[in-house]
Parts: sequence; structure tokens; C-alpha cells
Amino acid sequence: MSKIILYDCGAEVAHMVNNLFGEKVAIQNSSFDTQRPLQEFSMVIVETGSKKPEQLLQEIKALRYACNFRNIPIIVMQKKSDTYPKHPYIMAGATEILSLQAPPLACRQILQGYLIPNRQPLDQEMEYLTPFINSTKHVLRTMSSIDAEYKELYFPSDFRIFGDVSGIIGLSGSAEGTAVITFYWDLARKVISQMMRVSEDQINAEFIHDGVGELINMISGFSKKSFIGKPYHFELSIPTVVMGSGHQIGHPEEASIALVIFDVGKSSFALQVCLKPKIKKRD
Amino acid sequence: MKIIVVDDSLVMRKIIVNVVESLGYEGVHATNGQNFLEILEQCGDEVGLVLLDWNMPGINGIEALRTMQKNSRFRAIPVFMVSTESEDVKVEEALASGAKGYLSKPFTPEELATKIKDVLG
Repeated sequence: MSKIILYDCGAEVAHMVNNLFGEKVAIQNSSFDTQRPLQEFSMVIVETGSKKPEQLLQEIKALRYACNFRNIPIIVMQKKSDTYPKHPYIMAGATEILSLQAPPLACRQILQGYLIPNRQPLDQEMEYLTPFINSTKHVLRTMSSIDAEYKELYFPSDFRIFGDVSGIIGLSGSAEGTAVITFYWDLARKVISQMMRVSEDQINAEFIHDGVGELINMISGFSKKSFIGKPYHFELSIPTVVMGSGHQIGHPEEASIALVIFDVGKSSFALQVCLKPKIKKRD
Repeated sequence: MKIIVVDDSLVMRKIIVNVVESLGYEGVHATNGQNFLEILEQCGDEVGLVLLDWNMPGINGIEALRTMQKNSRFRAIPVFMVSTESEDVKVEEALASGAKGYLSKPFTPEELATKIKDVLG
């Protein structure tokens, strides 16, 4: 059974959600709390109106971080009297803004859409994802003595990344695409400090910026060997690094983008892989 | 004795230089192929080994290696490629261009230290 958590929602929202889902979904009301792990929930719902927008934005940002890269929609229920624009909520990490005045049937369809389970990867997708997964674990183990545990994989419809720093590398050749590794700041600092065999307080932003770029370089380079002679073979670009939560990464058209989550203790990082063979032109 | 470490990644250069210096050698940073060739001109007579990345902006590792090999002053200095490029065809290309050995990334400090000791004794 799916579980939905409502944070600081009034009776109107709680009543509406209960009516929409009935007993098909387990609904939990709670006060705002970022210490609670959110992995067990299929959806988070918050409400505007009772708090200042600035406070709600900060809470949405914190909730998005607490999702630990998991595909958990954060729904903002907006009162009719609330004229605050929607875009800042989306940029903070919200998935959808729904009006409390919207027809219940429309709300149900939208919310139920978010509860549809993630699709399983195709065999042909695992063919190129498995080397990247194995390479990620190998690189972190070898360079940082860190055991990264592969947890799950899904195909996001949203290209935004809500981490703190991403290393991006272009892939071209027989196949084209991108590989992106995204960390939260604390875990990035830990990984880089262990790579360099120094204490974490010696790791500054420059080291993190450079180290994350080198990590995606090594992960992609090591996985490349698995594709020799196959349609997914590629060459690497020079990596680039982007810092700042909510950044968007562009990908080739009509390519599926897999997001792979790894756990390092209670922290997580994400690897995005988008790779498709080039279509050969007929003579 | 100096060992030149050529890599556009600051973190990777520091990792490698730490190993180099733990073995008692002086590590010299070079940020890319062009910088490496300039440093070589300045102190090539003191250099015992070059650890060279492949993919770098501007002059890449292989291009820098080939340029170095054209200069009789530096041809005898052993060069090890330290790179994510690890396919057989790449290793063969590096060796044909004058590299004495190859270490694929990722590597442990212990693996790098062993390679350095194998070359320098």
C-alpha cells in the first residue's frame, strides 16, 4: 500500500486527500520534520497559506534534500486566496502545485499519476547501465575506500537535479549521451577527503569541484571498456562541474535517462546515465 | 630527483604527488601538455620520471609525449601514462608513442607506488 505524508496540512487538505484515495493509500499527518527519512513514502503533500512563502520554500527545499534523490513527488496544495507564483516552489523542489479549488476528479487523476510505480528497466538498458553501476562502485572503492551500495534505478521525467554538485561528462562515438554524478555537499567532501587521504576540514570548494569532475571521468572511463565492439561504445569529453541545487542537465532527444541511486551509509548520491546508439545512415 | 605529474585535475595531481613524495622524490605539478613541455625545458635534466594523463584540454598527453620524444635531451626519460583510457588499442598507441608503461585510473596509492618503484628501483 502506498504511503502519503502530509506536512502541516489543515483539515481541508487532509479531508480532500482522504476522499480522493480512501483506504487505498495510508495517509499520515505530521509536523514539518526533516529528520524523518522519506524513503518509505510515495508522496509528500504540503499546503500554502498557513506559513509565509519564504518559510514554505525553505521547507520544500529541505524536504527535497530529505528525499535523498528518490523519486518522491512533493505536492503543494495552494489555497485560492494565495497568489504567490508557482515557479519558486518548483525551483525549490516541488513537483506539482495543485489548487484546492481544482475539481476533485482532476486532482485524483494527477495525484494517482504520481503513485504509478516506476517502470522496470529494459534488458537493453541494463546492458549499458550495469557497467556504469559496477564502475561507480569500483571507482569509489579504489580511490576513496568507500563501499557504495547500489539501491535503486528509475527513469525521471524531470531533468532537474536537487543535489549540490554535479560532474558531467559527454559521451560520443558509436553511441552518444551524458553521464552525470551528483552529490550533496557533505558526502562530496567526505569522498574527496578520502581520495586525497586528508581530513575533511582541508577540503575546500575547489577540491570538491575538481574531484567530482575527476570521479565522473574515471567512472565513465572505466565503464568504457565494457562497450568495446558494441553499439554503446563511446569516447569521453573533458568533464565539467556544476554547483547549485536544482540545476538542469540537457540530454539528447528521445533518449531515456536513468537515475541510479547509491547509498553510502545514511547518505546517497546519484548517477544519471543517458546513452543511445547513433542511428547509422543508409548508403 | 624530480618526477613530473601531468594532469589537468588538481585533486589527481595532489594524490599522485603525495605518493611520489612518500617515496622520497620531488613531485612537480604540470597542469596540461603545454605546461609540461615548458617545465621539461626548465628542469628536464633533473627529471627521472614523468606520470602523464591522456585527456587534457589543449595539448593532450599523447601529443605532449610525441613532442617530448622528438627532443633527444628528454627521450631517455621514462614516461608512464596514468589515464582513464585503458583499452588495448589506447595502451598500444601510448607504448608506440614512447611511453614505457601504463597505469589505468582508478588506482590505489599502493599500485602507483609499485609502478614507480618498478621503474626507478
